Amino acid sequence: MRTKCHKIERLVSDYIDGTLSERQTAAVAAHIRSCQSCQREVTDLKKTRHLLKNFYVEPDASDAYYTQFTTQLQQRIEHSAPTALHQRFAAVATRLGWQLLTQMYRYTDHFRPSRFISIRRHALPYYVLALAMTLLIAAPLLLTQVSLHNTGEYVRLPSALQPAVTLATEQDQTAAHPIGIRRNMNSERTTETPAVDSGSDVWKFTDEPMVDGYIFAKLRKNSSDAVPNVALGIDSELLAYAESPTQGAIWARLTSRDVLTEGRYTLLLLRGINTGQHALQQYERKRSESKGFSQISEKLLDVPLEMLSVAAVYDPIEL
Amino acid sequence: MDRTEALLIADLCEGDETALAPLVERYKRMVYRLAVQITKNHADADDVMQETFIKVYRSIHTFRRDAAFETWLYRIAVNEALNFVRRRERHRETTIETTPETAYEVSTRYRVQLANDPHAQAEKAELRQYVTEAVNSLSLKHRTVVILHEFEGLTHAEIASILNCSEGTVRSRLHYARKKLRTLLKPYMEASAI
Repeated sequence: MRTKCHKIERLVSDYIDGTLSERQTAAVAAHIRSCQSCQREVTDLKKTRHLLKNFYVEPDASDAYYTQFTTQLQQRIEHSAPTALHQRFAAVATRLGWQLLTQMYRYTDHFRPSRFISIRRHALPYYVLALAMTLLIAAPLLLTQVSLHNTGEYVRLPSALQPAVTLATEQDQTAAHPIGIRRNMNSERTTETPAVDSGSDVWKFTDEPMVDGYIFAKLRKNSSDAVPNVALGIDSELLAYAESPTQGAIWARLTSRDVLTEGRYTLLLLRGINTGQHALQQYERKRSESKGFSQISEKLLDVPLEMLSVAAVYDPIEL
Repeated sequence: MDRTEALLIADLCEGDETALAPLVERYKRMVYRLAVQITKNHADADDVMQETFIKVYRSIHTFRRDAAFETWLYRIAVNEALNFVRRRERHRETTIETTPETAYEVSTRYRVQLANDPHAQAEKAELRQYVTEAVNSLSLKHRTVVILHEFEGLTHAEIASILNCSEGTVRSRLHYARKKLRTLLKPYMEASAI
C-alpha cells in the first residue's frame, strides 16, 4: 500500500491540474477513494491552490512609474548607438577579466591556490582561456586607446606607444628650405610605410579629405637654425614626434578616424631652451586653445614644458 | 500573435525604434510583475525590465516569427531576472553583505496596498499577506515555477522551454513547491473557509 501511495503522490500535483492521461486520472481517483492519507493530500493541495489563486497579491507599480520607465528606456535606446566590434570585444574581455578575478578571489580562500585548483579544476581551462582572451583583446586596445578626455572625444596616442614615428635620414642636405610637408604621393590609401622622397618639399593639401594614409613631413636643417624637434598633430591629437632630426622626415599613419583636411593639422617646431619670448607666447596660446595637445605633449615628451619653446606654429598657407 | 503585434515586430526588425514603444506599452506590466516576483525588489525589477526590453530591441532579429512573441518575451524576462538574482547572491557572498531580505520591502509595499483596499476585510487582508509571503519564501527555482504556472498560467511545456529544462523537472519543482506551500499555509486553510 505504501508503495502505491508513493507512486500516487508523485501524480497528485498533475492530478489536481488535470494534466494526467485518462488512465492515470482513473487510477489516482480510485486510489484516493480507498486511501484517507492520499485523499487528505489531494484535499490539502487543492486548498493550497485555491489560496494561491484567490489570495495571492500580484505586484504592480503605479502609472507614474511606468511612464518614467518608458521615458528612461527610450533615452537609453536613443543613446545606445551601434557599437563597434572592437568595443564589444573590449567590453566582453573586461567582463571576463573581472569575473575571472572575482572568481579567483572567491575560490583562492585567502591565498590557498591548492583549494582553488581542487575545487575548480574542471573550470581552470576556461579561466586560462578567459585570461588569454582578455590579454589578447584588451592589451592592444589599451595600448592604442588612451582615454585622455578631450572635448568629449577619446584621444588616440599612437606615437607614444607604437612605433608610428620613424626618422629617415637623408644624405643630401643642400636645400635651405626649412621644412616641407606633403601627403604620401604613392596612393590615396596605403598601408605601406612611405619612403622618403627627396624630390619635392612642397606641402600639398588637396580639397579632398584624406583618410587612411600617411602624412609625411620632410625635415631639413636650416643653415642658420638649431636642430629642430618636430611634433605633428591633427587638432589636439599628436600623431608623431621627431626628436632632434638633423635632417630627415617625420611621418604618421592616419586611420579612418583621422580625416586630414586643411586647417585641422598642427605642426610644431620645438627647439631647445630660450629661443624667444614670442615663440613661447605662441606655444602658450596653442596650449590654451587645445588643452589636449599640451597634455599629450607633456606625456609624450616627458620633459617639463618650461624646457621647451616653440620657434613657429605653421599654418598650411604659410607652408 | 495578432496582426498589429506582427507588424510591430516586423518594423522593429527593420530597425524602426518607434515600434518598440507600443510593445513596451503592451507588455510592461507583465514583465514588471515577473521581475518583481522573482527578484523580490522593486529597484532590481526596474533594472531587469530595462535589460529585458533592451535585449528585445537588440535581439528581435533572432525571434522566429512562427513562435509566440509572448513566450519569447517570457523567456528573456525570466532569464534576465534569474541571472540578476544569481549575480546579486554571488556578489553578496563575496562582499559578505548583510542587507536584510529584500522580501521585506515588497511585503511592506503589499501591506500598504492592502491597507488601501477598502473592500478587503481584515482577515482576508491578513490571509493575502501570508499567502504572498509564503510564495516569497520559496526558493528561487520553486518560486519561479509557481509564478509561471499558477499566476501566469503557462503550461509545463512552456515553462520547460523558458527555463531550458525538461517537463519532468518542471512537474517535480511544482510538486515540491506546492507541498512546501501546503505546510506553510496549513494553519490558514480552515480560515479561508473553502
